[in-house]
Amino acid sequence: MNWADFKTLDIRSRMLLAALLPLGLISTLLAVVFLQARFDDLQASYELRNRSVVRQLALASEYGLFAANRSQLSALAAGVIQETDVRWVGILDARGQALATAGRHDQSPPLTLDPVATHGFDAKRQLDWLVQPAYASALQLDDLFEKSTPSADQPPRLLGQVVVVFSRHTVDAQKRQVLLTGALIGALSLLFGMVLAAYLSRGVIRPIMRISQLIERIGRGDFASVQALRSQPTQRDPLHQLQANIYLMADRLAQVRQDQETQIALATQALREKKEEAEVANLSKSRFLAAASHDLRQPTHALGLFVARLAQLPHDVQTHALIGNLEASVRAMQNLLDGLLDISRLEARAVQVNKHPFALSGLLHQLQHDLGPKAADKGLRLRVRPTDLWMLSDATLIYRVLLNLVGNAVRYTEHGGVLVAVRHRPSAGQLLLQVWDSGVGIAPEHQQAVFAEFYQVANPARDRTKGLGLGLNIVQRTLALLGHPLSLRSVPGRGTCFSLSLPLASSQASAPLLAVPAPELASAGDDVRGQTVLVVEDDTLARAALVGLLESWGMRVLAAADAAQALACVAQPGASAPSVIVSDYRLPDEDDGMALVLRLRQQLGYPVPACLISGDTDPALIQRARSAGLTLLHKPVRPAKLRSLLRRLLQSSGMGAERS
Amino acid sequence: MAALRSFWLTLALLWLASVACAQGASGAAAPVLSAARVVIVSSDGALAYLEAARALTERLERSGVLPSDIATVLAADLPRRLANSALVPPQIYVALGSEATTALAAGSVRAPVLSALLPGSSFERILRSSGRSQSSRFTAIYLDQPLGRQLSLVRLALPQARRVGVLLGPDSANKAAALRALAAAHGLGLHEALVKAADDLPEAVLHMLADCEVFLALADPLVFNRSSIQNILLSSFRARIPMLAFSPAYVRAGSVLALYTTPQQTGSQAADLVLGVLQGKPLPAQGIEPNDFEVGVNPQVAQALGLAPDASALRQALRRQERLP
Repeated sequence: MNWADFKTLDIRSRMLLAALLPLGLISTLLAVVFLQARFDDLQASYELRNRSVVRQLALASEYGLFAANRSQLSALAAGVIQETDVRWVGILDARGQALATAGRHDQSPPLTLDPVATHGFDAKRQLDWLVQPAYASALQLDDLFEKSTPSADQPPRLLGQVVVVFSRHTVDAQKRQVLLTGALIGALSLLFGMVLAAYLSRGVIRPIMRISQLIERIGRGDFASVQALRSQPTQRDPLHQLQANIYLMADRLAQVRQDQETQIALATQALREKKEEAEVANLSKSRFLAAASHDLRQPTHALGLFVARLAQLPHDVQTHALIGNLEASVRAMQNLLDGLLDISRLEARAVQVNKHPFALSGLLHQLQHDLGPKAADKGLRLRVRPTDLWMLSDATLIYRVLLNLVGNAVRYTEHGGVLVAVRHRPSAGQLLLQVWDSGVGIAPEHQQAVFAEFYQVANPARDRTKGLGLGLNIVQRTLALLGHPLSLRSVPGRGTCFSLSLPLASSQASAPLLAVPAPELASAGDDVRGQTVLVVEDDTLARAALVGLLESWGMRVLAAADAAQALACVAQPGASAPSVIVSDYRLPDEDDGMALVLRLRQQLGYPVPACLISGDTDPALIQRARSAGLTLLHKPVRPAKLRSLLRRLLQSSGMGAERS
Repeated sequence: MAALRSFWLTLALLWLASVACAQGASGAAAPVLSAARVVIVSSDGALAYLEAARALTERLERSGVLPSDIATVLAADLPRRLANSALVPPQIYVALGSEATTALAAGSVRAPVLSALLPGSSFERILRSSGRSQSSRFTAIYLDQPLGRQLSLVRLALPQARRVGVLLGPDSANKAAALRALAAAHGLGLHEALVKAADDLPEAVLHMLADCEVFLALADPLVFNRSSIQNILLSSFRARIPMLAFSPAYVRAGSVLALYTTPQQTGSQAADLVLGVLQGKPLPAQGIEPNDFEVGVNPQVAQALGLAPDASALRQALRRQERLP
């Protein structure tokens, strides 16, 4: 375990370590000391016994050595070899000649004659050998003969020596036994100590753990479980006071939190009420706007139709000019209502995206054609850089975006020109369609806001000649629907650049025609002439205007103010069946155009083509009309658009040719 | 007038006597020594010398010699005494042990010297080393028993034994010839084994014991000493050959028999010779053999060997043979 690990030990481990480390050290130390002492005792007793055996043998061999009695010495050696641990016995005479040996000869030590007792040790084989010289034992005579001789004090005579080899195996085995026993006792006492320490330290650790748990729960804000813990009896707990204080703290915290929660709940409630109020206000505003828009559409619709009818009549030059101005005013009004309609359709996701590869050149050409004159009128130059690139998107929607962007550019530019350029980005698989102008530019702080509805930079007076402020909103919604990113760069006073990233497509053999219908009023000849049209319209003015316009196109018109009249009109015997139905959506008596068309078709017995006209821009209605397979025209209806629709309906049903 | 002169003379004599007495008191032993006619020189304070000296003194006193005529000194004190020319030389010195004999041989003593409690070989070695020769002026009572007495004891104690084994060392080799003759006279065969060096001893012992019926020990320091005696006794016992030794210590150590003279007996014999000298007779010119003796028996060993010698009976029988009282 290194120091870093030690530092991260939890409290339980530390307590146990503190209890066990001294215990382990002491028991180990004691075991070592006592084992060492025991080992020394064993070794000493082994050596003592060996020395004693050798001395005894030396004493016993004395006479045998004196008499060179080999048989007696052999018997002695044979006796000694029976002793424990004795491996080899040798008895040598004073000249170093072995008189008797016993035991295995390969365990005999090197034999040298020595006048003193010596010993040796063979560590490899764990053999001790002891050499004891055998002297003639001196007898105290104390007689006068001896006292009279000068050589009385001569040293005792060396008779020979005995050599005994002992093996340490037994004593080693005893030591191992002692070691084993000691280790066992040490381990048991350590184990006992551990259990005891664990048991005793539990008394301290448990309360600490409990407090730690408590604080953890408080930290989690789980005050309910804190209360549950509180009910546990802790009177005997050594940290009782600390726990009590923590419970106090928990109570305070819980109270503070409860207060906060109450305040937050109150504030949230207030906010929710405010939001609901705002939503209600917004809803009523929307309703008002929708209603106003609907109510506005009706007269504008009639006005447009009247003006169109009026324009078809012969007039003098002055009146003609007046009618021209009238038409322009009506167009502006219609544009405003169309913009609102577009936004409501985009909001309702009622716009169908039809992506396919198409060549940009056709689109740009159309753009030049549509907006070139308007720019030229302002003295600007609209330049469209030619390209042969193809892209994958919805051509109609992209064209509407371009119309808006370039229209805006022309509107906000007084000098210079407008440039539409395409940059190729093959590495990203994209092309960059850019609209540059040298106009007033947009300050950085307004660059986000310009995309909001009805937002116009520097037009607080809402001068309608400067547009309606819906264009960029429509652009943004359309591109979001298509999934194409749009970016804006602008320097106020220098100009603006809008960039569209569009996916590239490989060139196709033939370009599909742009679904933007070209104005074809001129060729509006005999296509609808003579056809019978059933007009259902509850508004008298609008009905009169529509009937007048349709009749001016040479159509036979059956007019009805409500569903009952329409059904009656069709049911009249001898009446010519209508080839096409143009019905207002909203009819009196809770009827609606869609149901009426179905009933009429049922009554007529064939699916007569029909279209609905509505001043209502409700997205739900748009969806329903689409799912019913009916074209929904929004008021104010442009006469040209209505005529084109009627022609298409008649052609597609085949009824037009048949009936005429 | 004559009475007055004799009175003054008496006074003067009394004064002289008192002065003499005062001088004697202050001179410690000097007055005693100065008067001694017999000086006993003891080698040391060993019990044997004390016993011998006591026996000698008692015997002399019983024969009328005054205690003041007998002085006892240790050998170590002898040179100082000899150097004191003020002393009147004694009539005889009795040396107890070889150290006392050596001290007296080294000093220039005019009185005859009787040495005792030492083997004949030791006495002869002292004579040789001091350049003296044995004479009536310098003689000794030997510790050794006469060979004949020993052989007689062999015959008495072990009547069946015919072959006597002896170990002859450098000191005892000179007795070989006499021994052979005496053995033959006693009707005994002799088996001699010669020990020239200590290493020869075991072989000699075993060789000798292999061919004898009784083992006669003759004092020789090379052969019989404190480290050899145990093994010699053991060898003899194992060979079941009874051993006749020359010292009571040997009987205690395991010898069956020993023939020896006690210090008291030696003291008494010396006292007889001292009395003769005091009466004007010279000492014998030759070495003196002990005239009294004891027979020692180790009954345990004897029993183990199947013998049952009676020590006092043997002593009496020997004395009868020698016609001793």
